[in-house]
Amino acid sequence: MAESILSFLSYFWVIRGQVAELTLQHTLLSLAGVLAGTLTAVPLGIFISRRPKIGSYVIDIAGMLYTIPSLAILGFLLPFLGLGWLPTIVALTIYSWLPVLRNTCAGLLGVDPAAKEAALGMGATSSQLLFRVELPMAFPIIMAGIRTVAVLTVGITTMGALVAAGGLGNLIFTGISMMDNRMILAGTIPVSLLAVLLDKLLGILEHKASLKMGVRG
Amino acid sequence: MTGRVEVELQNVSKFYGEDKVVDEVSFQVKQGEIFVLIGPSGCGKTTTLKMINQLVPHTSGSIFVRGKDVTELDTVELRRSIGYVIQYIGLLPHLTIQDNIAFVLQLKKCPKKKQRERAMELIETVGLPLSYLERYPRELSGGQQQRVGVARALAADPEILLMDEPFGAVDPVTREQLQNELLRLQETIRKTIVFVTHDIQEAFKMGDRIGIMRGGKLVTIGTAMDIVKERDDFVRSFIGQGAVFSALDTIPVTRALIRDLPVVKKEALVDPAQPAFKGWDYAFVVDDRGQSLGYISLAEMEGPQKIDPDKVEPLPSSCLPGDSLKKALEEMLWGSRAWLPVVSEEGSFLGIVSFQSCASLLAG
Repeated sequence: MAESILSFLSYFWVIRGQVAELTLQHTLLSLAGVLAGTLTAVPLGIFISRRPKIGSYVIDIAGMLYTIPSLAILGFLLPFLGLGWLPTIVALTIYSWLPVLRNTCAGLLGVDPAAKEAALGMGATSSQLLFRVELPMAFPIIMAGIRTVAVLTVGITTMGALVAAGGLGNLIFTGISMMDNRMILAGTIPVSLLAVLLDKLLGILEHKASLKMGVRG
Repeated sequence: MTGRVEVELQNVSKFYGEDKVVDEVSFQVKQGEIFVLIGPSGCGKTTTLKMINQLVPHTSGSIFVRGKDVTELDTVELRRSIGYVIQYIGLLPHLTIQDNIAFVLQLKKCPKKKQRERAMELIETVGLPLSYLERYPRELSGGQQQRVGVARALAADPEILLMDEPFGAVDPVTREQLQNELLRLQETIRKTIVFVTHDIQEAFKMGDRIGIMRGGKLVTIGTAMDIVKERDDFVRSFIGQGAVFSALDTIPVTRALIRDLPVVKKEALVDPAQPAFKGWDYAFVVDDRGQSLGYISLAEMEGPQKIDPDKVEPLPSSCLPGDSLKKALEEMLWGSRAWLPVVSEEGSFLGIVSFQSCASLLAG
């Protein structure tokens, strides 16, 4: 046991430069995916929170997309987007839709109607209502969705290796094909750590933003 | 109440599909007046209120605010010029008390410094400590939150306030306190207030005039006294028993004051056979300056005589001209007397109120 740990560590030390480079790629891919997902799903979530009928269809569609295996999505995107980071980021975006949409919608619909009525009664315009009342009040719930997506995305980014997008998936899939457990571990452990780290980072950002907006606790 | 009309509804109706929620309602609210809309739940009182600031657009009729048709005004500007207080308070939980109070000023993009100054001014007006400005709504009790709600409605110094069951969500003790404070505040700010409630006691207490609604229709409008005298079955059952007492609580004794009395100067020569004393058992004795000295029984006088100071009895108890009729009646009941003198704070004898004079006020 001790021997195999030692052997893994010495192997890891040898390929540390490669791991660092792949981790950086992985991080950038994941961040791009989360960002693209958030930027598309939050506005769509705002839109559908005002149109509950369309909203339920949109969420159904996002749910269906969510259940498609990641390999299948990449395979489907391949003829259109080719190889590389683009199909990966598109796939990550598609996976982020359901959690972010649902949480944005739930967050906005959960805003205290009395607060909205008071704000409207005092003469808030619809954009003032959105940016000064609804979004700040829904912020913690929207953020919870984004954090879920962040963890999920770091995991799915691994699949990017299959379409030559790079990332820690390279080590994992090469390790699998070579039946080299040390290589699989050298890819998997940074992925897990990255997921936890990103979640914590977003947690800190959320806290900072909350303080700035006055949403405490 | 001779001021100008600030809010006027003319045959205003609201339909939701086939449902007529508000049916041809008309009323006027004058400057400085508290107009109370009251009725059972679902009578359309809140809808009527919300049509004034167009949170609910009306289907037909006309609504005028300060003489202008609301449909011709910019809705956002209209709302910013009217203070709005709601039952569920609706403070914004993510903003400090200061930012909550100054919310309208923020919407109007007033400078930060002015927002702060106004918030400091208003938090004192509603009787909360300055340190509360830095707090968040959930750190305050319900009663304190509603004070902030009132302060917020006053932020832009509106001429008109709409209050939708503002004290409905607080306990009875706090409610009474808030009512008293609002009335005291109103003495100085003289806003035009439209006030919705379902509590008849509150209506009598707060309202200069009261409009009773039922099934979307305005059944009657009048002062507390007018409402009590109403013979309509619905109004009678709605205001319930004991309403007379609530109404009497809002009326000062001066309304039932009897001034035409046998009043005599001390040491004057009195003849009980004089017409002025006919039908009276007592005469009231005052000094040269009109200060009350007491009363004297006429029954024991035989023929004209000078008033004997030893026979003048001090007044049993009395009330002030500002006291309510309810208080005077209570005093009479406790003292087993059918009348009560009214004496000013300076001691001048003003007259008496009696069961008879109260009864004729109610009947008249």
